[in-house]
Amino acid sequence: MSDAGHTPGGGDVAERDVYTGAGEPAPSPSSVHERQELVGRDLRTEELVLNIGPQHPATHGVLRVVIKTDGEFVRELEPHVGNLHRCAEKIGESVPYYQWLPYVDRMDYLAAMCNEHVAAMAIEKLGGVEVPERAEYCRVIIAEVQRILSHLMAIGVYGLDLGAFTPFLHQFRERERGMDLLDHISGGRLLYHYIQIGGVKRDFSREWLDELDAWLASVERRLPEYNTLLLNNRVFQQRTAHIGLINEETAKRWGVTGPGLRAAGVDWDLRRDVPYSVYDRFEFEVPCGESGIAGELGDCFNRHWIRVREVEESLKIIRQALAQMPEGPTMAKMPKSFKAPKGEIYVRGENPRGELGVYIVSDGKPTAYRIRCRGPSFSNIAVITEVARGTMIADLVALIGSQDIVLGEVDR
Amino acid sequence: MADAPEEPETPASNADPVTERALGVLETEHADSVVASEMTGAHPWIQVKAEGLADLMRTLRDHDDTQLDCCHLITGVDYPGKGKDVGEIEVLYHLCSYAKREDAAYFKRAEKNDPWVAIKVRVPRDAPNVPTVMEVWTGADWHERETYDLVGVRFTGRPDLRRILLPEDWPGHPLRKDWETPASYHGIPIIAPEDL
Repeated sequence: MSDAGHTPGGGDVAERDVYTGAGEPAPSPSSVHERQELVGRDLRTEELVLNIGPQHPATHGVLRVVIKTDGEFVRELEPHVGNLHRCAEKIGESVPYYQWLPYVDRMDYLAAMCNEHVAAMAIEKLGGVEVPERAEYCRVIIAEVQRILSHLMAIGVYGLDLGAFTPFLHQFRERERGMDLLDHISGGRLLYHYIQIGGVKRDFSREWLDELDAWLASVERRLPEYNTLLLNNRVFQQRTAHIGLINEETAKRWGVTGPGLRAAGVDWDLRRDVPYSVYDRFEFEVPCGESGIAGELGDCFNRHWIRVREVEESLKIIRQALAQMPEGPTMAKMPKSFKAPKGEIYVRGENPRGELGVYIVSDGKPTAYRIRCRGPSFSNIAVITEVARGTMIADLVALIGSQDIVLGEVDR
Repeated sequence: MADAPEEPETPASNADPVTERALGVLETEHADSVVASEMTGAHPWIQVKAEGLADLMRTLRDHDDTQLDCCHLITGVDYPGKGKDVGEIEVLYHLCSYAKREDAAYFKRAEKNDPWVAIKVRVPRDAPNVPTVMEVWTGADWHERETYDLVGVRFTGRPDLRRILLPEDWPGHPLRKDWETPASYHGIPIIAPEDL
């Protein structure tokens, strides 16, 4: 074989080929159809429509994704949502405010406390309810505990998506103990109804605070271990770095919020930039995307890394809140039948997955005229229709996993 | 707090600075489109005409004073009329800006305490046609589909306006105020939310 045979498009290939373009290089077989003609009819390739889900572990719930594949590549993608639609907004128009709050838990069921926080804030702002200061601290502490739990889940399950089973099991140890904490304060493991209109259901006890301290210490101690297992793992880095890029422009255009937005390099966190509750009294950093350990801005690795760093920041916030916490009541005096005056309100808050928005129209009755919720996962999953084009099927799983969606919130 | 001395000067006008600025842009660029506005209170808004909505939204996105680069939420609210009045459907756009996050004036706190801008469009209930803003913010796609699905607003000039949450053969739009819960769907009994 001559040396010329190694150059693509030249040498012996050209000699054998039927192509006789005078002096010009042969066209590269780029499209499927051109390749078809070159290879011949026996080896014809065609697009395959592949249905993933709704009952599939890689889709994080009941998401159904229909993809058109060309070999291992995704050519087109269409997510089908709505399997978990439970009419949260319709119910909001049918039951009084007091009774609607437990339904909010069920939207993002991995961050129920954060949902309650934002929804309660919206109703309180509409009704002009003053929340006692201690209750605000209780809310922040409990919402940050929930954020850590949610991020631990996201981090662990992401490993599971990519074939790393061990970190998932390790992280569930910390998560279990955290769930116990929330169980002891509210009586529920997943859905709490702890944050209520006007304050919180009950104050922290001494024993509970001790339990919380021990848990915070164990999370802090174990986080580097998890990072050894996953974040600093070479295989994990190669599966996620430079994969599933959502750049700044795409993220803004699609309304991506939360870790996805920050991983794209937008330094934005409602807790710091539009502080609600008592978040303006704490010192914490907002992790923003960077290409430090591996990868680049807006890739799957960065989204994962942001969650890991957000856990550290949440630990800081909880410790400061515990130190500053004033004494006092944890519940405002609320009437038995709560009526909001006529008006409308839009309140948003930073959930683990992004910005949760609650829009309420009141016509002065005990029941809202219209309630609308913006689930962050809704926009975070919509973006994959664009960014998943051209990725490989295995990377699609990495992309969906890194968006950390909760279908309960997409469908509401 | 370091900025404590500045606080007394803000209550001079109770208007929301972000909405005020957006109104200023609209009045110079699309003076005919602005119908009404509310600058104070916890939920200030600007109501505009449905015609030419996409152009207007593009101005809000691209103009240096507003730079509203994110469409946060699209909501449809049904206001049925009484008697012969067919009533109206209101479509609300909550927009926000990441580009302005460095701008201190942008964060001057009014009562609302959050730098989003609400744009309202009102269309008659029997012909709820609103131009799409999908080409301004791609993310509006799913929000528009959801608003169509649940409230029945028809967004014009866009492809693929179909249901997103409910099944394709679902009767009507459940968040319309005159929607009645059917007794069953394909033989599955339905409990009306009122009976929960």
